[in-house]
Amino acid sequence: MQVAEKFKIEDKVRIVLVGNPNSGKSSLFNALTGLNQRVGNFPGVTVEKKIGHFKVNDKIKAEIIDLPGTYSLSPRSEDEQVTFDYLNDSNRTDIPEIIVVIADASNLKRNLLLASQLIDLEKPTILALNMMDIVERNKQTIDIDLMAKEFGIPVVPINARLGKGTEQLKDIISSYKVPPFKKFVDNHETKDALDNTLVRYEKIKRIINACLTSNGETKTALLTKKIDKVLTHKVFGYLIFLFTLFIIFQAIFSWSSIPMDLIENGFLVFGNWLGDVLPQGILNDLLVNGVLAGLGGIVIFIPQIALLFTFIAILEDTGYLSRVSFLMDALLKRFGLSGRSIIPLLGGAACAVPAIMSARTISNKKERLLTIFITPLISCSARIPVYTLIIALIIPADQQLWSFNLQGIVMMVLYLLGFIAAIATSWVMKRLVKSDERSHFIMELPIYRSPRWSNVGITIVNKVKVFLFEAGKIIIAVSIILWVLSSYGPGEEMARIDEKYQEMISNPDADKSHISEQMASEKLEVSYAGHIGKFIEPAIKPLGFDWKIGISIITSFAAREVFVGTMATLYSVGDEENTASIKEKMARATNPKTGEKVYSRATGFSLLIFYAFALQCMATVAIVVKETGGWKWPIIQLLYMGALAYFSSLIVYQVFS
Amino acid sequence: MSLTTLATCTTGESAKLQGIDDEQLSIQLFCMGCIPGEIITIERIAPFGDPIMISVEDSFISIRKVDAEKMRIEKI
Repeated sequence: MQVAEKFKIEDKVRIVLVGNPNSGKSSLFNALTGLNQRVGNFPGVTVEKKIGHFKVNDKIKAEIIDLPGTYSLSPRSEDEQVTFDYLNDSNRTDIPEIIVVIADASNLKRNLLLASQLIDLEKPTILALNMMDIVERNKQTIDIDLMAKEFGIPVVPINARLGKGTEQLKDIISSYKVPPFKKFVDNHETKDALDNTLVRYEKIKRIINACLTSNGETKTALLTKKIDKVLTHKVFGYLIFLFTLFIIFQAIFSWSSIPMDLIENGFLVFGNWLGDVLPQGILNDLLVNGVLAGLGGIVIFIPQIALLFTFIAILEDTGYLSRVSFLMDALLKRFGLSGRSIIPLLGGAACAVPAIMSARTISNKKERLLTIFITPLISCSARIPVYTLIIALIIPADQQLWSFNLQGIVMMVLYLLGFIAAIATSWVMKRLVKSDERSHFIMELPIYRSPRWSNVGITIVNKVKVFLFEAGKIIIAVSIILWVLSSYGPGEEMARIDEKYQEMISNPDADKSHISEQMASEKLEVSYAGHIGKFIEPAIKPLGFDWKIGISIITSFAAREVFVGTMATLYSVGDEENTASIKEKMARATNPKTGEKVYSRATGFSLLIFYAFALQCMATVAIVVKETGGWKWPIIQLLYMGALAYFSSLIVYQVFS
Repeated sequence: MSLTTLATCTTGESAKLQGIDDEQLSIQLFCMGCIPGEIITIERIAPFGDPIMISVEDSFISIRKVDAEKMRIEKI
């Protein structure tokens, strides 16, 4: 009663959207808000919180919260717990609140269970019946008025995909009057939660019988059954999946190369321009070589991330992804994973960051943790430049093995090693991580539908935003630290180098770009980063690495591909003509004491293995902190992958040398 | 009429659910519409015999074989 008296919408209202998974909740959210939405986190947990805004009418503005999909108010996963807690929190009294429960009208009984539980919370509630198009196609009619009377709350038919019925929903919101509450099922009259559910179903069945008229057979499920005969076939199912994968990776690598080049060049041009217009000095250097370089390092991955999420969103929206999980579950279960782990593992081959984000769909905490833990072991696209450079150094391009290109084979073996290490790690972790949570694979397989393009588009925008802002913050911070470490050094050494080159630069005949490159490399050697490289040299010597590789390993923590750039700076020394490529310079490099080549086969293989296994990616660390809600797991992951890389490289180097 | 578990059914077979011998499993399946008295059809069984795709009314749900063994059914 209290609620009814207090409830009065003046100019603001909060809409809380609740519904089953696959009920069209996101579609309704998107139809109401468009891009006027943002993704955040619920406090303390990593569950995504979507908040949007829309106008109910000229006077009333609405804030809308999309709660994670749930089948009932007895929570069984982190997502569902969030929904449960949010709905039971009575401390939010700032503005009037209306719960809109969305129900798939083509699957009424199950969807109305949640609605009935919400009614018993005795809060202002509206029932939105979605997918009325399917109801009509099945030649069914629903008596909306009768249903509203039976449930005691307003009922509105909508078609969220087409945005139909949203105006009527807004009308109901603006003129909402709290009806007298009547309990759907009195909890005191039922023995336990299970009995309560069954009693609810009994009552819901009676209401459906009264409200729903069927004039024919339902047809939608028939098409889905036919498609499933092919897509989950024991042979074709896997072949189609492999083919889909092939297409996705081709697309991610080939389509993204043009925008990635554009972004890279764009940042280069912008950086040069900024470096010229700003007054020379520390600020200039910090902005151009620290912040902007770090920013460029993140932005360059946006095309790949956007493409990966486009494909995943399409596959998910059509219902295919749940079939892939269905096919893979038996295999992955043996390694402590779930059928749903397949999505992050696939994504890891492009970039571990979005892949780890996509592990959210795994409801079992242990399976999700294991998936997050092993995903960075899958060779990602940032390793490609490193692999390419080192392989080219140690294996001649024309060398063949069984008439296959040996360089290609080595590359493939590295990918395979990553996958094997991932699976083996999971197999061990399965035994180490304790969990009382039982593992089920209870998952709804939605009927096949064509993708909702606006949903796909909005998903991509949101994912890219999260990546840019959440990971971006940390990347920029570390970039600045790396810049400081490589631009400054202890003592007077830096200043002495400056002096030495000052004269050379002032000589009008000097090749300025060459001199400044040489200066940069000498400065790097005496910088803090250089000292750290020299300091760790004894530790990495058994792996066949010298201090220069040591610096590269440190700077690579910003992103693996930084290895190539660091090498380019370090090896500019001694090349008077400055004509050789990095590869040629590195190939000529010799150990000053022994006269032996630095990049022998043993060192090369050792370095390849190191880059395959080590977690040299702060973006990944950042996202793992965010997704696991703390520093414990990212630190364990960093140490584990570091140790794995170190000892594997040690073995490889000792075997080959 | 024979009483057995859902795990004994083969693809295409339908059965009436009698009960689920596991509280946690019951909570999960009940709220997805899989309740005693409903007709369950085995739609597909994944390669390696696990998991199993069942249909209840118009919902398709995947469950693992160990869970199917806890679902008492009456074959029809």
